[in-house]
Amino acid sequence: MNLAEHLKRSAVLGLGFSMLLSLVLGTWMFRAEENDLRLQQRQRLAVLRANALVLAVADTDAAATRSRVQEMQELNPQIESVIIVAGTQLLASTRAEDGAPRALKREEKPLYDLSNLIRTARETNRGEEVVRKKTVQIEETTRGHLVVTLPYLSGGEYAGILQMKFNTAGADTLGDKADSIALPLWMLLAALLAGTFLRLHPEKKIDLSKLIAIGVFLLIALLYQQQRIERLEQIEVQDNQSVAADYLALAQQYDRLGILSLARDPASVNRWDTDQYQRPLGLIGADGRISTEGQARQFAKRAGLFKPILWAINLLTAAVLLMFIYGYAARGYAAFRKNIDAYIYVAPAMIGMLVLVFFPFAYGIALSFTDTTLYNESLPFQDRLIGFENFRHILGDFNVYQHTPDGISWNYQNFYWTLMVTVMWTVTNVTIGVSVGFLLAMALNTDGLRGKAVYRVLLILPWAIPNYITALVWRGMFHPQFGVINQVLQMFGMEPVAWFDGVFSAFFTGVATNGWLSFPFMMVVILGALQSIPKDMYEAAEVEGASRWQRLRFITLPLLKPTLIPAIVLSVVWTFNMFNIIFLVSGGEPGGANEILVTKAYKIAFENYQYAYAAAYSTVIFMILLVYGFFQTRITKATESF
Amino acid sequence: MAEPKTKNHLWLHVSLITFTMLALYPVFWVLALSFSGQQSVGLIDLPKDPSFFERLRGILPFPAHWSVKNYVEVWTEQQFGRWLWNSVVISAMTTLLGVFLACTAAYAFSRFRFPGRNTGMLMFLVSQMFPGTLMLIPLFIIIVKQLQLGNTYIGLVIVYATTSIPFCVWMLKGYFDTIPYDIEESAIIDGASRLTIFWRIILPLAKPAIAITALFSFMTAWNEFILASVFMESEANYTAPVGLRFFVGGFSSQWGFFAAGSVIVSLPVVALFLQLQKYLISGLTAGSVK
Amino acid sequence: MKQRLKIILATGLLLMAGIFTAAQAADLVVWHAYRGAEKTAFEKVAKLYEIKKGIKVTTLAIPYDAYADKITASVPRGKGPDVFIYAQDRLGGWIESGKTVEPIGFYIDDATMKQFLPGMMDAMTYKGTVYGLPINYKSITLIYNKALVKTPPKTSAELVKLAKSLTNADSGRYGLAYWYTNFYFHAALMNAFGGKVFDKDGKLVLNSPQTIASIKQMMKWYKTDGIMPTEPSETLVSSMFNEGKAAIVFNGPWFIGEISPSVNFGLAVLPTIDEAGGKPMRPWLTIEGAYVSASSGQKESAYDFAKFLTSEEAGLILSLEGRQLHTNSAIYKDKRVMNDVVLKAFHDQLNSAEPMPNRAEMTMVWSPVTTAMNKVVKGNATPEVALKEATGTIQDSITALRKGR
Repeated sequence: MNLAEHLKRSAVLGLGFSMLLSLVLGTWMFRAEENDLRLQQRQRLAVLRANALVLAVADTDAAATRSRVQEMQELNPQIESVIIVAGTQLLASTRAEDGAPRALKREEKPLYDLSNLIRTARETNRGEEVVRKKTVQIEETTRGHLVVTLPYLSGGEYAGILQMKFNTAGADTLGDKADSIALPLWMLLAALLAGTFLRLHPEKKIDLSKLIAIGVFLLIALLYQQQRIERLEQIEVQDNQSVAADYLALAQQYDRLGILSLARDPASVNRWDTDQYQRPLGLIGADGRISTEGQARQFAKRAGLFKPILWAINLLTAAVLLMFIYGYAARGYAAFRKNIDAYIYVAPAMIGMLVLVFFPFAYGIALSFTDTTLYNESLPFQDRLIGFENFRHILGDFNVYQHTPDGISWNYQNFYWTLMVTVMWTVTNVTIGVSVGFLLAMALNTDGLRGKAVYRVLLILPWAIPNYITALVWRGMFHPQFGVINQVLQMFGMEPVAWFDGVFSAFFTGVATNGWLSFPFMMVVILGALQSIPKDMYEAAEVEGASRWQRLRFITLPLLKPTLIPAIVLSVVWTFNMFNIIFLVSGGEPGGANEILVTKAYKIAFENYQYAYAAAYSTVIFMILLVYGFFQTRITKATESF
Repeated sequence: MAEPKTKNHLWLHVSLITFTMLALYPVFWVLALSFSGQQSVGLIDLPKDPSFFERLRGILPFPAHWSVKNYVEVWTEQQFGRWLWNSVVISAMTTLLGVFLACTAAYAFSRFRFPGRNTGMLMFLVSQMFPGTLMLIPLFIIIVKQLQLGNTYIGLVIVYATTSIPFCVWMLKGYFDTIPYDIEESAIIDGASRLTIFWRIILPLAKPAIAITALFSFMTAWNEFILASVFMESEANYTAPVGLRFFVGGFSSQWGFFAAGSVIVSLPVVALFLQLQKYLISGLTAGSVK
Repeated sequence: MKQRLKIILATGLLLMAGIFTAAQAADLVVWHAYRGAEKTAFEKVAKLYEIKKGIKVTTLAIPYDAYADKITASVPRGKGPDVFIYAQDRLGGWIESGKTVEPIGFYIDDATMKQFLPGMMDAMTYKGTVYGLPINYKSITLIYNKALVKTPPKTSAELVKLAKSLTNADSGRYGLAYWYTNFYFHAALMNAFGGKVFDKDGKLVLNSPQTIASIKQMMKWYKTDGIMPTEPSETLVSSMFNEGKAAIVFNGPWFIGEISPSVNFGLAVLPTIDEAGGKPMRPWLTIEGAYVSASSGQKESAYDFAKFLTSEEAGLILSLEGRQLHTNSAIYKDKRVMNDVVLKAFHDQLNSAEPMPNRAEMTMVWSPVTTAMNKVVKGNATPEVALKEATGTIQDSITALRKGR
């Protein structure tokens, strides 16, 4: 058996590819996690020192503060420098060349701004009674060199900022003996070996070799991941130990100097080891003992983030394996070679779409799994991840109506109400657009009709004029007192209608405007389609005595179908997302009852600044339309002729 | 085709004229406002207990005084001519690019059977489904930050063309499907290449469809305003819709200027449609080449 | 065919031109949303600065409807202008989202701080930090048709009496017209009664007896006195005023350009409200500021230009030629300004006016309050119920936004 044949028949390609993919993705993810842990550790050590320093100078006068800061810096070589800024003054600095105290220089504006930023953060957290702004700013200039800035307090009140440059070199507990590449390589080799000896039968649904291949794959993948997870846990434990040691050493130093008497009884909280909001982490007690529950909590939180990613990786790579061992990959490749022409024709359009449509798309969907708002936009992505929370909130809220003494009162803010309005809006508009367009196209396609060209041009005008102004005119036409429509009603002795007051009448204003805007498009499309129907078919039918109705039913409609269906599908999608008309004409009045899903999403994003929630709304809209599109194309495919 | 009985279509004309008048009523308002020389929509002025005819006169859209002041102002105050020209270039390029890309893709979807065909069609449809309101920032990242195409025609053209492609592909595929396959088969037997068939047979036959998709692509680019104002960094590169929006929004809205500008902006579309009409009518029907 | 080829060639050339003209020769880029006289005056000031300091200033006008989007999309991504001009209503949002507006408190000196009219700097200050320099302000005031009104009313009693005599609902004539369902316009009444949207810590305090009283006052004018038209809007108010169907309107400086030349109009300070103990109506001030962009590479010169915009010299050009109400108090000592009826009238109104809040949460207020006001006006709810409901909605949005980490 030659090599090519062997590759085809054995599981080596499948196992090799899927294993490689699984290991690469897994290693990449764990590397990122590990780096993140290391960074956190460095930050934690720096914050610990900085917090301690701030507490040490909290109740001293300016001169004492200066000398104390100087003293601490000299005792701890890891602290490279410390400055304290109050307002526009550089209050203290451990570097002699700074010449503190003095006023800030022009180029030191960032310090002044930082001081304001931290003051505002502190005030905001207190004023709003919600902790949402970081009071500790950390910047890592180069690896291991951190700049920590935090509030400098005097008598419990904010007095400025303390900025500490800190060198954490050698703080990494596992050092740089980062996970070696050897383990994954051995695992890959094992998978390849196993694959070589497995003979596949792609035609069989299930056979032993397939099961073994899947088993081997899962075994190796899960073993590897388990090993990595344990390593992460180990790092966290060691990190905690090193922070605890550091804490105790520092505390002893403070005791010795008599700077600060620390309450080190086990019951009190460790106020040095905090997060960037200056909340105690609860991992190390005031007595320096490591809290096991805290550690478990810490790890569960991290696992909550990476477990779903691991699942996704496993699913994806398992799918790759299945594709190979069931021969889809080979067949797909053959089909690609065979149809290369078709792919070349489609490629330019497809590439454009991928870049410009599917990237924004992915961006939106990724956003929908976070809790991004205006206020936390600048936080790192993983800090904002919340999973399916937004979707649960949108779809799980069934508070559509309430029973009140006056009967049922609808909750217009509810998703399902808006969905219902949107569906009604779409169905009504598309029906109107298609039927008016069809009637006009039929009329304009009448043979021997004079002035066709004039009608055609006049009737596309509603489409040609920017809809922003026509929407305004329509809005004006519906004005209860000065609007044309009510004038006409009164002309015929009817009562004027307050159009924007009622749910149905306001709905009607939108439908009327949109119908008016959309019929020209449908008319033009249908007209074009009618032109492509051979005239002799009608002649033949007429000769055979077919009635007008029969000709319409058996010739026109079936031949319009290939162009009409896509036009309808597209206009359903567009109308579903028709933002302008609702927004400009009724504005969703009364009380948001006539809001459709897109206008709602817009308001959530740009009025309420809940970007992620709006993205989730958009994703839901997308899913609804996707399901529609899927079924619609299924149905049409059944009737499609070639 | 000879119509056996020459009708005068009286009733058809009556109903068409009525419908056209009704459909054009808002357009008349825009025209009236643009020629009024004023900035606000005129109100209906009625005496106490108005009669039927007084009401009728009230609702007829005629300005009290005719004036071309709004037009003059719109044209001279800003570089409106330049912006109109930018719009023409951008829309024309969008149309060319969009229709070209759509034709090739639609041809493949209609004439080849290949794996991923249905998925591909669905993908194009799917792209229309994500609401556009949240797309601005990702598009900015791609076009301006990554591709460095801010302040250029080409940046806008690419975006507009991809926006219009899905529609064009779907429509054209539908039309291509109606063109009988035997025409091509005989050409293949005659030794014509795929490209020749596409260029010489399919495209001429699909003229009505191409005319419609061209009009659509053109309109997509022609009326867009937000991306054009965000991507362009100098006033000389603005498009006409951007120029129009200066008159409204914010605190003050000069609707008279806006109306006059809208009328000017609509004229090229009407002209284009007049041009494309002849393809709509004389597009060779499948019957004549049988 | 030849012609077509030409067109294609020309298109191609233009395309190339489009690619290569994206040059960055300018020294200072300034974005604004002006057109007409405001734009001309602004460009003149920029030119003047260029001559004085030798720094080239390029201005770019952007349509208002795209302005905020353009800032939000470009500045945090390192693009955009050095200085941009916008009203204070967006300021809080931009500051909260970060990387957009540069704090300038460090640059600002006492002399600059002192040159402004009272209240102006408040609008540019967010949580104690200064982010911009105020350039001009807008507020509504009383505008009347001189053919119908001899002396403008000073108190609400006078207003109602006068307006009643000028109202004839059957022929569509009203004594008073303003966009009373719009919260921005209504705020003048609310402030007269002492109602507020936020307290100083940013807590929502909209649902207060004062605000309710102000809505009742508005309803009295609309329902009991019947001196205002139904379903008001900006276009309706301007149409009515231009056709002599509204004798008095409450509107801002932007409205002046929309008044038809055939209407002889006068301006006066908004009346005092007897029902609010004789307190004056206090409209909200929208104050446009010049902000230094956080992405600017030359923040000091950017600040210097912003400072120049607030100077007396620039102020005179901006107010006399651009018809803006400049923030520099020195220009109101100039005869040309004080002899200008419009400028003087709006300056007079400034004595009873207050800056609109610049908090990000303000955008969440408009739509629920508008809904509430519409409900009240249409008789679907009492002011108490409607306002309670609106406050609930707003509070929910605010809570969702201010989520703890």
